[in-house]
Amino acid sequence: MVITPIHYIVVPLLAAFAIPLLVKIHKELPRIIPGLVMFYNIIISIVLMQQVNEFGYVSEVIAGWKAPWGINLIITPFSGFLVSLISFMGFVIWLYQYRFKRVIDVGELKSYGILQMMMITGAIGIIITGDIFNMFVFLEIVAITAISLTSFYRHRDGAEAGFKYLLIGGFSSTLILLAILLLYTQVGTLNMAEISEKIHLVPQGMKATILVLFIVGFGIEAEMFPLNGWAPDAYSQAPGPTSAAFAGIVVKAGVYGLIRIIFTLFDIEGAFDFLIIGGLVTMIIAEFSALKQTNLKRMLAYSSIGQMGLVLIAFGIGTKTAVFAALFLMFNHAVIKSLLFMTGSILMYNSKDKTISTLNGMGKKLPFISLLFSLGAFAIVGLPPFSGFWSKLYILTAAAGEEMILLIGAILAVSIVEIVYYFRVVSKMYFAEETEHITIFKPSVNAKIAMGILGAVILIIGLYPDLITGYLHNAADMILDKASYIDFVLNSNAPVQ
Amino acid sequence: MKKVLVILLLAALGYFLAQTFLEIPLGENRIGDINAQKPTAAGYYLSNTKEKSKVANVVTAIVVNYRGLDTLGEVTVLFLATTGVASILYRRKEEEEEVERLNLPSSNIIRTGARVLFPAITLLGIYVFIHGHLTPGGGFQGGTIVATGFLLMLISYKGFNTNHNIMTWVESIAGLSFVLIGLWGLITDHTFLGNIPQIGELNKLLSGGLIPIIYIAVGFKVAVELTGILDILLKIKPKK
Repeated sequence: MVITPIHYIVVPLLAAFAIPLLVKIHKELPRIIPGLVMFYNIIISIVLMQQVNEFGYVSEVIAGWKAPWGINLIITPFSGFLVSLISFMGFVIWLYQYRFKRVIDVGELKSYGILQMMMITGAIGIIITGDIFNMFVFLEIVAITAISLTSFYRHRDGAEAGFKYLLIGGFSSTLILLAILLLYTQVGTLNMAEISEKIHLVPQGMKATILVLFIVGFGIEAEMFPLNGWAPDAYSQAPGPTSAAFAGIVVKAGVYGLIRIIFTLFDIEGAFDFLIIGGLVTMIIAEFSALKQTNLKRMLAYSSIGQMGLVLIAFGIGTKTAVFAALFLMFNHAVIKSLLFMTGSILMYNSKDKTISTLNGMGKKLPFISLLFSLGAFAIVGLPPFSGFWSKLYILTAAAGEEMILLIGAILAVSIVEIVYYFRVVSKMYFAEETEHITIFKPSVNAKIAMGILGAVILIIGLYPDLITGYLHNAADMILDKASYIDFVLNSNAPVQ
Repeated sequence: MKKVLVILLLAALGYFLAQTFLEIPLGENRIGDINAQKPTAAGYYLSNTKEKSKVANVVTAIVVNYRGLDTLGEVTVLFLATTGVASILYRRKEEEEEVERLNLPSSNIIRTGARVLFPAITLLGIYVFIHGHLTPGGGFQGGTIVATGFLLMLISYKGFNTNHNIMTWVESIAGLSFVLIGLWGLITDHTFLGNIPQIGELNKLLSGGLIPIIYIAVGFKVAVELTGILDILLKIKPKK
């Protein structure tokens, strides 16, 4: 059987429906099967990326109905890059969580395996689909799983965070559905390429309303201020691997939705300025909030929001260099922030009351974890020679190219704030005196391997950024080239499989 | 003061939205010429469903065939919602012994009535999802009707227990059969959910190829999942 984009969705679904039966055969199967699925995702990504390099895109129709009549899946260099990133992160996160909480009950294990796997599948679905309503369905899958995983530890704070997320997430879905409905009444189609072709027929006022509804709806998933009230609670209450998946996977899907809608679907110029302003406010508020946090995971969550603000700014600048920088930053954020959440949750697990002030002397007790956390911290603030340096440099270059001096000033000022709060944690770990003796929970070997892989990626990309810049340039070209996207979907007769 | 501001803000937003909604051209024929060279999506469905899918109910053809991936997605959303509810309200083995079902005292009349209605409701539900390709309704609607029958039994009889083992089997097999039917199309015809065989004739129960089979699977899955959610929600931990 030839590998096609639908495999990304069908294989995890088969596994998810089969897990409740397979758990009766052996109770380890719900742990192992998601890993096999994630590994298969990587194989699909490799095969499809080769085809994308050869033909420019891979497109597939469902049930034999050509676009715009049926649902189509399309992998362009942009979506292919994001899907490959998500597949890779999904596998690493699985590796990290494989022996996570060995004592966990079989029933819990079953739900956890299914939910975590389907959250990643939903994020992939958002990215590969070419149909706006299908995107909404996958967004629902992501929202439901993310909410359930937030409250996975059944205690008070988890329930509160989950309920908050449920309300805000439900609001987001409603707005997106409303926007899709309005759009359908205007253009009579749900296919994104055809919408993009017909959008100029929609009256200006209506178009603006629809765009605002979309931006608010997807802004909630993309953690844009002031729609990100759910994020700090959800990140800090969810299990460690899930927080890593939020930062590495879920947010990426939200940003993808926002970018696809602003860049491809609509032709309103003002949306770009809106992205810059929204991103700037998000970044400044989040980074200063991060400075005030005493809980490490909350601090990381605010830092994550701040980084996404920077991504939105870069997309808002809208030139080719800026979009390229934004994609580079998305890649870095996925890898580095996931590493920080993975190491951070192990550090938290070993501290007395989950605050930063009890991390004294962790550098000696957990040398490997502390080293990786510091590596991540240095990389995310943008110190050379780590990968975070390049993305920040490119964003500043792009802003300089458009002569946005104030923006450069703001980004640099916020970077200093970032340095302050990250270095505070690192200095606590290495230079503060050990205060108390507590029994240390040692992370398992597979978790160390997973974190080691991410650490290695940070170093390698930092030293040889050329390894991925080729893909990123292709992806950036694709985002800005609306006409060829429409052409791929509607007039393709070449490599449809 | 804060409340007044919120109300004013909401009123402004509401006015803005109402203005937009007034612009929706309701009642106008926007389908266009269904036999045009390049018809709208709706026009294409109307003109092609009869010959190509052999299904009398166009809505069902759209839901299960043209937009089959959405339906698979919605089935998954429900499945994940059940899994999520089960995970949030999960109880370990040692806790489970202390749990009993919310015990509402129900009178003789309700109990007898429920027993009489239960088979009728179930039958109606099954009818709705088996005839999804002929009449309005289908898997989701029929499954929900069946689940209401179970809800009636669950709240009238304290001793009425659903068999979790059977429910798991039905749920998994129904879900797997939907995906496997889709995969069969992928293997034989290179499109997921494609290659619907043409059996039976239009307007008969046996028509539409695999569409009714998919809808029956959806019906079973929805019925079992909603019953499962109700069962979990009705179980409470008694106060000591």
